[in-house]
Amino acid sequence: MDLTIKNNEAKFLVRLADTSLILGQRLAEMCSNGPFLEEDIALSNISLDLFGRAEEMYKIICDIEGNNFTPDDLVFRRNEREYFNIKLVEQPNEDFAWVIVRQFLHDIYVQEVYTQLLNSENSEVVGLAQKVLKEVRYSYIHSKDWMERLGLGTEESNARVQSAVDHQLKYIEEIFAFDELDKTYLADSDQLRSVWENDVNATLAACNLERKEIMPLTMRDFRDGFHSEHIGHLLSIMQYLPRAYPDAKW
Amino acid sequence: MDKFEKAFNDIIEKDLKVEPRDWMPEKYRKTLIRQVSQHAHSEIIGMQPEGNWLLRAPSLRSKQVLLAKIQDEAGHGLYLYSVAETLGISRQEMNAQLHSGEAKYSSIFNYPTLTWADMGAVGWLVDGSAIVNQVSLQRTSYGPYARGMVRICKEESFHQRQGYEIMVKMAFGTPEQKEMAQDALNRFWEPSLMMFGPHDADSAHSSQSMAWKIKRESNDHLRQRFIDRTVPQAEYLGLTIPDPNIKWNEETGHYDHSPFNWDEFWNVVNGNGPCNQERLDHHKKALSDNTWVREAAAAYAVKTENVVA
Amino acid sequence: MESGDKVWEVFIQKKPGLAFKHVGSCHAYDKKMAIQNARDLYTRRGEGRALWVVPADAIVAVPLDDSEAFFDPGDDKVYRHATFYKTPDGVKYL
Repeated sequence: MDLTIKNNEAKFLVRLADTSLILGQRLAEMCSNGPFLEEDIALSNISLDLFGRAEEMYKIICDIEGNNFTPDDLVFRRNEREYFNIKLVEQPNEDFAWVIVRQFLHDIYVQEVYTQLLNSENSEVVGLAQKVLKEVRYSYIHSKDWMERLGLGTEESNARVQSAVDHQLKYIEEIFAFDELDKTYLADSDQLRSVWENDVNATLAACNLERKEIMPLTMRDFRDGFHSEHIGHLLSIMQYLPRAYPDAKW
Repeated sequence: MDKFEKAFNDIIEKDLKVEPRDWMPEKYRKTLIRQVSQHAHSEIIGMQPEGNWLLRAPSLRSKQVLLAKIQDEAGHGLYLYSVAETLGISRQEMNAQLHSGEAKYSSIFNYPTLTWADMGAVGWLVDGSAIVNQVSLQRTSYGPYARGMVRICKEESFHQRQGYEIMVKMAFGTPEQKEMAQDALNRFWEPSLMMFGPHDADSAHSSQSMAWKIKRESNDHLRQRFIDRTVPQAEYLGLTIPDPNIKWNEETGHYDHSPFNWDEFWNVVNGNGPCNQERLDHHKKALSDNTWVREAAAAYAVKTENVVA
Repeated sequence: MESGDKVWEVFIQKKPGLAFKHVGSCHAYDKKMAIQNARDLYTRRGEGRALWVVPADAIVAVPLDDSEAFFDPGDDKVYRHATFYKTPDGVKYL
């Protein structure tokens, strides 16, 4: 099956859909592993929002591409280099601080992306953006509250969240290396960066966390299907059944 | 008999509800704590065998449904822990009892989930049997427990259907899928029936619990209801119940079945099932790996809300 | 209870105009977390539009021993109920 996405808008949207899906899968890993049950439920809720968002976005993409394939085909039959998520979201759940920092850095970014998509010429995208913004607002409050608790909580929690920040900021630079597609479909890509920078800097400062200088890394762009090694393991688990039984329907 | 005991007896006799601040016999309280905490732990440990397939769910739809279902189980565990808390035991104490082995959870969750069809079998048979039990408990005499059951039954109505839907897809799918479905039924049939507990004659706590209306129907009665409902559902799927003696009995109006393997049941209850150790270790690890998170949350609250730690 | 982990009672308003109803309790370490946990635990199926949480230890109840003294005196004040009064046939809107 040829799952190449050819349309430009679909190529742009699949980055968002994949980002949502992969983060959803990472959060699902936290199920029954949270610090207490209430938090398990909270993370599951956010994970469900992310899967739902990805599915809706894949539907729009399939629609644009002429419905030659389905959302499930896109999820379960593409290989590593055909995935276009930001690398941040494939980073593992080293500890609860990693989960929260990753979520927080993602939520600010996505909140501004979907705000800008309210201006899209595609009414389906606008409809989805309206729904997503409510979900992200909640997720953002949740992750930001936890940034505060962990940053200001104990010495240990501060050290753990600082180390998560230090690591994950490495995967941010590529997000803002906008290409022509981003510039076409985002209302104001420059603003995306400034909104993100302002919020991150203010939050880190308020949470007694440092933003250290990060040397530019050579890791190639997610827009070209480049990843960290984590993606292969994630996909091999996620795609196991449809790959092992290609003729089965589930 | 003092006026409090009389008031309690009146409540039971008139089928009213006992509330947290009412007087109750110490043994009534203890029995309830044992039953409710076991019920709560079952919901929580039950998240693990299903969580085992969450990341491998084969479609976007099944992934979301399964996650929502496991999330409900966490929620139902919480409702039940709250009920137990109204009886004067803290969640921390309940966790400690779970970890020491003093408190039990349903033995069914000590069996491994080996294929995707097990997600079908767990929903269909394990949730199915839990629902029969829980519907009956909606009339239990302890108010918070009864109200919790009403809420839980309402929310769980989709759980069994979700499981049966998977069974339908598998049973009518490829030969490999059908084989997985039959294998799952083979492995989960008898353990699901034993979820109802020992036979009435061998059940240590049953008669007093029935007298206090904590339990409203006996183990054997509920088990038979479940069998009678489930056998035709298996027939629809074209699957064979792994018991050669399953047969409709015109005289009794019920299905007959073979005796169960109670030795295995007790062995698993007593900690020697395939996954007992793994389930408890997983639960302990999630708690202990995150001690620092809870400490941070507590320290933050002290700093920001002027609460006393 | 683990240090810092508090029980909160949860009240939900189903629709604007209705009274808040007690639905159960939840655990949380601080107010914001209590609101979020209550939301995730009790409104996953759209059960409410507004939500209160109250620290469980802030709730004061009538002691069991005094319940007769508190509530029985209300039982014989039938004149507080509308059904106590007779209205002449044919008179409306009372």
